[in-house]
Amino acid sequence: MRHIPDEELHAYLDQALSRAQCVEIESHLASCQACQDLRDGIAALRDRTTALLATLAPPRRFPVPLDQLRGLAAARSARRHQLRRAGVWAASLAGAVALGWGANNYFSPPTVRHGPAPLRPAPALASAPAASAPADSGGRSIALRPDSAATVGAPRPSAGTPTPAATVAARPASARAAPVIIEPPRIEVSTATLPPVGSDGGLGGIWRTVSWASARTERGDSVPHLDGLPVVEVQVGQTRPGGNKSIMVVAQQLKSGQVIRTIEGPAADVSELLANRAGASPWPTMEGAGISGGDGAMALRHGDRMLAITAPLSNDSLRAMIRRLNAEMRQK
Amino acid sequence: MDDLEQLYQTTYTAVVRFLYRKVWDADRAEDLAQEVFVRALAHRPEKPRAWVFAVAANLARDEARAAIRRKRHLTLMTNDPDQAPAPAMAPDDQVERDERLTAVHDALETLTPRDREVLLLWDAGLSYPEIAAQTGLAVGAVGTTLARARKRLVDAYDRQHSKRDHAAHS
Repeated sequence: MRHIPDEELHAYLDQALSRAQCVEIESHLASCQACQDLRDGIAALRDRTTALLATLAPPRRFPVPLDQLRGLAAARSARRHQLRRAGVWAASLAGAVALGWGANNYFSPPTVRHGPAPLRPAPALASAPAASAPADSGGRSIALRPDSAATVGAPRPSAGTPTPAATVAARPASARAAPVIIEPPRIEVSTATLPPVGSDGGLGGIWRTVSWASARTERGDSVPHLDGLPVVEVQVGQTRPGGNKSIMVVAQQLKSGQVIRTIEGPAADVSELLANRAGASPWPTMEGAGISGGDGAMALRHGDRMLAITAPLSNDSLRAMIRRLNAEMRQK
Repeated sequence: MDDLEQLYQTTYTAVVRFLYRKVWDADRAEDLAQEVFVRALAHRPEKPRAWVFAVAANLARDEARAAIRRKRHLTLMTNDPDQAPAPAMAPDDQVERDERLTAVHDALETLTPRDREVLLLWDAGLSYPEIAAQTGLAVGAVGTTLARARKRLVDAYDRQHSKRDHAAHS
């Protein structure tokens, strides 16, 4: 006769058996005293276990209302939804930026300069606004004096390049070290018509308008200009008696449509030109070859390079231009 | 009244008790039980009762790990100023009650984790299939494990009790 195993009696008392199994066990129990005793012992053990565990109950408290938990769940769900939306938004933004960056790289390959620019002396370099923009209406003046020798680098086109002129943008040293060589940037020659420099009441004297190619032929690399801007006009001033170099003015157009003029020539001519344009000397304290500026820190010395910008430009534009010049100076 | 609300009313106390026997901190057990039901309200599980105890067991396990990390030693009987004051009890009765609680606690701690888990789940009212699903045991093995766990718990308690009696009389 087969007795009922312990675990089956536990399951039987726990009501974990099927009805058929229960009937089978009960039939056996009705005729087996040993299994009845075993069942009673297991029932007592079960009851005792329950009693022992019941002593390990925490202090009884009233549960918080379920609605309170519903509120917590709703708030948490809303927060999770917000986070998910923020994540999607951030991912979209990152994707858009990456797409734009990739497209920019694809359509606009970076330019690399072709080597170190040569050093050349610069008598004076100044850029002026278009004749249509009065210099005294919001115009600003800045003077820079480098510590090193009075030389300034000018972009040089690559040898054999048939373009009127080739200029390079100021780039950090790391960019120059890049091995990729791209087609050199070119200066565009625009057909915009401007009033002659002598007709605005500022730039007096006799002036002749020349083409960019003629200017390059005449001056070589020392034609004054700003890199990357289309050239709309080149004018050459009259050479002073006894002088060996004439003043040259190159008008270039900004993206905004505004025209900037870069003036190069003997320092005295440039100073006089700027003074005549504004109706008064831009540097009232300038006398002769120097500027008496208090402690003399601003005094011009022989060989100094001077940059004067007079234009209704914002401070940000001026700072950007200065940063660019500084970068070029560091590359020299 | 939806299923979860009904489950909350019938099972909340059991969940708190189940958690209390794992974390041995009444406040923490209450907090974890509320967390369990907040999650249940958010997830709407298909088998809510088994799901609730499964989540409770996981939370208790995480809590135990955190407690180990914090080197926090929880005592069985903590003074809880928030809980309702216990009914007045004679000092001797109080000592006896505390000793009994400690003995049961120690006896429960002598069980293997699996035996203890099965025993506590059964005491919380879960069926054999639910216990089997949560612990990974076969349904047929649940009865075997329960039989062993019950016997070991009672034996351990009796040993503890007799040891204390022997110490008290010597």
